[in-house]
Amino acid sequence: MMRSLRRRIGSRGMRILCSAIGITIVVCYLFPVYWMFASSVKTSAEIFANPPSIIPSHPTLAAFRQVFESENVVRYMRNSLAIAIPVTVVTLLLGASGSYALSRLRTRLIGVALVLALILQIFPDALLATPMFIMFRHVGLLNTFTGVVLATSAKSLAFALVILRPMYRQVPAEIEEASRVDGCGTWQTFWRIVLPIMRVPLIVVGVLSFVQAYGQFVYPLTLLSKQELQPATVGIYSFIGAEYADWDRVMAFASIFAIPVLILFLLLQRKIVAGLTAGALK
Amino acid sequence: MRAGRAAVGKIGRRRPVLLYAFLAASMLYLLVFIGLPIVYNLVMSVQEVELGNISDLVRPFVGLENYREAWEDPSFRTVLLNSALFVGANVVAQVGIGLALALFFAQRFPGAHVLRGLLLASWVLPALVVGALWKWIFATDYGVANYVLTRLHLISGAIHWLSDPTVSLTAVTIANIWFGTPFAMILVAAGLTSIPEEQYEAASLDGAGPLARLLHITLPSLWPTLVAVACLVTIYTMRAFDLIFAMTQGGPLDSSNVLPLLSYQLSFQRFHFGVGAAVGSFSFIIVLAVAVLYVRTLRRESEG
Repeated sequence: MMRSLRRRIGSRGMRILCSAIGITIVVCYLFPVYWMFASSVKTSAEIFANPPSIIPSHPTLAAFRQVFESENVVRYMRNSLAIAIPVTVVTLLLGASGSYALSRLRTRLIGVALVLALILQIFPDALLATPMFIMFRHVGLLNTFTGVVLATSAKSLAFALVILRPMYRQVPAEIEEASRVDGCGTWQTFWRIVLPIMRVPLIVVGVLSFVQAYGQFVYPLTLLSKQELQPATVGIYSFIGAEYADWDRVMAFASIFAIPVLILFLLLQRKIVAGLTAGALK
Repeated sequence: MRAGRAAVGKIGRRRPVLLYAFLAASMLYLLVFIGLPIVYNLVMSVQEVELGNISDLVRPFVGLENYREAWEDPSFRTVLLNSALFVGANVVAQVGIGLALALFFAQRFPGAHVLRGLLLASWVLPALVVGALWKWIFATDYGVANYVLTRLHLISGAIHWLSDPTVSLTAVTIANIWFGTPFAMILVAAGLTSIPEEQYEAASLDGAGPLARLLHITLPSLWPTLVAVACLVTIYTMRAFDLIFAMTQGGPLDSSNVLPLLSYQLSFQRFHFGVGAAVGSFSFIIVLAVAVLYVRTLRRESEG
């Protein structure tokens, strides 16, 4: 189909015109992202200039220096990582083994389990926050990273199960048969043969759960009331909650927070796209 | 495929104990940390839960009192209508623009794939960052939105995007459409690639032009994908919290408030945990209905 759709554009001129339109679309669409970075390098005088300057006239890193010095950015970022890294580990441990079972077992249970994972995946965090808050209060998990990690991992695990299962199905059964003939048990086959083949999809799922946990806002907001435990999302929020905000500093903080995610995305873009489409529509 | 399945079956039958343990671990985790909260939420929605008895395990049963209270809360109807408008506008715009972009980037021209992939950059940003960014873009005096619109002569005076109750819902809707559309586009693009090429060739031989091919081949073949994408967008948009919370906190006067945000406010700002749980349970039912539709669409698609 792609080929036939493509064949319809004949002349070279048309193709160049399409490229030009495509570039224009992308530039306009991503203007807000540019605006975040452009605002972050403006001086505090230029940020409130009217009309606003589209290109910063005197780029400066002053706003970055200020947020690093006075806004505990390092602590906020450290807390974000202290949540995101364990979530990634839990998701990969349970997700890699659980979706392998989902792809290999053949019982009626599988259908039930799959629908369960799909349905549980969609419930909004903000609605789960109320029961989660009271349950975690009973068991003393409020104001602990453990509580936030447990809550956040549930969401990314459901997502990982849905996305990884079709990928395990693509691992040829002959390879596992051969490993069995060589005398490997289920565990050894899984650990030594199947997991290495699944390396790339597992990296993609790991990155996606990391990004999701890194950007998680509702659970830290409701489950962590101690400021010294709060991650960068809550930090940025407390920064803009007031009516008046120093936007050059807010955008500097937002840029610092967003840059790792954008880099991961640029590095793994193709694989992320392939993984997402496989999970959502199959 | 059949050979593969047979082999899979054999592996499964031979030593499934470990695999059942794998399955049980994941399912148990999901049941404890999502299933249990959902059930507990239902229980709380028929109890009186206030700050005073929040630590008690046994609380007074009040029947549907919380639901009645939620229904009679003047906020609730506004918020219900807002949610419907917010979700409706997002579904139409995200699927519509996503489809247009997917069709455009499916053409063969230099850089088509790279450019399409770059659009996803908006979707990978944390929702809270997107909310903060758009709050700045929509700032009344120094925001770039008012500047650009004035320069284009589309508006004459500055719009109070976030503090005027008549436009705040529009502002958060625009931001959320920007945030979600690239994902819808990628899903539609995946659906496009599964339409068999022969259909286009046959149509070309019959003399069908580009518009006829779009109307008679692309759109009918793509219909199940579009329904599935519309369900997914509905589910994701029903979930929107961070973005609105960062931009307006649902205000002014609930003008941009939606169900998950109201549930949060009832619980954590007004401390009516029971009423918050009732609003939550009410929303769960809506989400569940859409989810069932989604699963059914996927099933039909994979069978057909």
